[in-house]
Amino acid sequence: MTVVVGYIPHRGGRGALDLALQLAHARGEAMAVVTVVPRQWTTPSLAKIDAEYGEYARQVGEQAEAQARDYLRDTSVEVATTYRSVTGRSVSSALVDAVHELEASTLVIGSSADGAEGRIVTGSTADKLLHSAPVPLAIAPRGYRSVAAAGFSRLTCAFSDSPSSARVVAHAVALAKQLGTALRVASFGVRNATMYPPEVGLTAEDSVLDSWSGQAAQAQRRLVVEGIIGDDVPCVIATGSGWDESVTSIDWQAGELLAVGSSAAGPLARVFLGSRAGKLIRASPVPVLVLVA
Amino acid sequence: MSAPAGLRAELLRRKPVRSTGGQHAAGEHGEHLPRSIGTFQLTMFGVGATVGTGIFFVLSSAVPEAGPAVIVAFVVAGIAAGLAAICYAEMASAVPVSGSTYSYAYATLGEIVAMGVAACLLLEYGVSTAAVAVGWSGYLNEALRNLTGVELPQAILAAPWDAEPGVVNLPAVVLVGLCMLLLIRGASESARVNAIMVVIKLSVLAMFIVVAFTAFDANNFADFAPFGVGGVSVAAGTIFFSFIGLDAVSTAGDEVKDPQKTMPRALLAALFIVITFYVLVAAAAVGTQPWQEFEGQSEAGLAQILEKVTGTPIWATILAVGAVISIFSVTLVTLYGQTRILFAMGRDGMLPRMFARVSPRTQTPVQNTVIVAVIVAILAAIVPLDYLIDVVSIGTLTAFIVVSLGVIILRRREPDLPRGFKVPGYPVTPVLSILACAYILASLHWYTWLVFAGWIAVFLVFYMLYGRKHSVLGQERGEEPVVDGERT
Repeated sequence: MTVVVGYIPHRGGRGALDLALQLAHARGEAMAVVTVVPRQWTTPSLAKIDAEYGEYARQVGEQAEAQARDYLRDTSVEVATTYRSVTGRSVSSALVDAVHELEASTLVIGSSADGAEGRIVTGSTADKLLHSAPVPLAIAPRGYRSVAAAGFSRLTCAFSDSPSSARVVAHAVALAKQLGTALRVASFGVRNATMYPPEVGLTAEDSVLDSWSGQAAQAQRRLVVEGIIGDDVPCVIATGSGWDESVTSIDWQAGELLAVGSSAAGPLARVFLGSRAGKLIRASPVPVLVLVA
Repeated sequence: MSAPAGLRAELLRRKPVRSTGGQHAAGEHGEHLPRSIGTFQLTMFGVGATVGTGIFFVLSSAVPEAGPAVIVAFVVAGIAAGLAAICYAEMASAVPVSGSTYSYAYATLGEIVAMGVAACLLLEYGVSTAAVAVGWSGYLNEALRNLTGVELPQAILAAPWDAEPGVVNLPAVVLVGLCMLLLIRGASESARVNAIMVVIKLSVLAMFIVVAFTAFDANNFADFAPFGVGGVSVAAGTIFFSFIGLDAVSTAGDEVKDPQKTMPRALLAALFIVITFYVLVAAAAVGTQPWQEFEGQSEAGLAQILEKVTGTPIWATILAVGAVISIFSVTLVTLYGQTRILFAMGRDGMLPRMFARVSPRTQTPVQNTVIVAVIVAILAAIVPLDYLIDVVSIGTLTAFIVVSLGVIILRRREPDLPRGFKVPGYPVTPVLSILACAYILASLHWYTWLVFAGWIAVFLVFYMLYGRKHSVLGQERGEEPVVDGERT
């Protein structure tokens, strides 16, 4: 199996490379650095008017490869790496084609360059992939750097009280074993905004969140009872008045990975991110791996 | 088994303040900025929650009951509401939780009283949502007709037992459905939107007053009180509906800066604004036409008056659009209030736990919201507005009496309890509040009383059979065996 990384030089590409290398090393897989280059017109023309453009596209691919090679040269880990440039109707469809062709286990991309450092920012390509990737999709926060040899310090799996989410936890258990890291199960709750005028008081939503926390704790206990996770797996409940506050209410380690399930409402065996998971990954301080529900 | 004394203790057990919902969660998140609400914002809560529940459509019911003396009825109802709201404020400040009358009653007066209050609150919130939705449908029709020329057929505009019978009030059902979807998605109205709504409501009412006064004819007041004092109190009962929501001032509880000063100021300011607007609207409306003509004017009464007065539909359209926007928000807020009261009851074990269940997907109480919305929609679809309004009034008045009584009981039983706000003029004020509410209550129709008594009875029987045994409080104290092991 191969970890495919969608690499664009300069624009957040290094974060994706770091994450892909970390994943490939931890799982003992190969890595394929894929750069999507502009496609030429295939219409035959007498004057070869498109040749210059074709040359440019080729150079983009070569430069990308050179940069990636250059960057990967001084890593300490041994990961079999291949490079290729591909074309397609869009970056996302070209990457999906590459995933199929290379029989990839995971697709890794970086954050868009338009966001805050350390945050996951999904651009248009990521948004499309989040709703169509055929394999788990990993996204690195902007400016992400890691030491592949150190591996992952912990895998946190986001869990909400639903059967599809329990399946995601089961995936995460296997994944944690594969990555050789500890697992943690976390449920994220957000307090709804207070309704004005406050006819039934200003704290009505606190008690809704309180009830939710109780239910989430019960659901986490059921994971243990049903044997999905061992009773030594720590379970935490994160709450806050917004996604950011909720996510930061629990501790995060350097080198941690957050696993999120995609919505059960989407097509089978595809990543299809739900709206809540989308908000969760945008608040995540660590790289996110979106699993197929 | 429970001896009579044991049963008494059971019915009157009180929820310790510590464990009343949400304190823990509130402390954790900094959302709970201590004492941040000032007089102005508190006044906005009161005005925002009050204006819009009734004034847009109560006149066609109230004027035929009292004639031009409806103006006096507005003042009477306003004073009763104001007195009750002041008592409400003391009750709220004595119990350091923020919540509805149900929570206060549970913490101070005992379980069975809380259950009775909850029955009243279901009328104050649930039934009033239905009433407001019916009123909305009238203004929607008016706005649609004036703006697009499309007139909805009567069959889908009115209840089967309305003065002008229809089949089902479809717009009201659609409105309740929309609000349900918003609540399920966790939408809420921010303090800013509330302020905007207040501005919209007061502006269209001010416009009504100005335009209607241009057609003022003092002769319409000649026969000022055709039904005498009795008529005024009957009308006050109906009008009381339009003062519901004033108690929102009190629910801000311990977040109010210097409550002893701020609470009464905000209450009086809100009451003054609301009464002034209501009296002016009533006076302007009665000045435009003989009081006999109010009867049978549809729910969009104010808009119809403007159209009649000016001869052009422009003003009526502006008013109708303003009403459509602001009544939408009133429906959302009231429906929300109802779901959260039932939520609190579900958490206490007074209702099946389903009502306190939060959907993991939306993190809102979905089942609860759907059940409430379906019942409210059915009421709005088939019950005429007049009946709804009277039932809401009787429930609210009774709840207010309980709160005023509660203030007196609590002062005697626990005189040393710290209270952020104390009723000025105790014991006269709570007694006056009880008398004022009782006076209005006494004038309500016998069938309203019948419906009300039946409703309370059903609720208390339900409590004796279900809530008494499932009460979380009872289970914590080990008075009853744990029935369903599912406790969070």
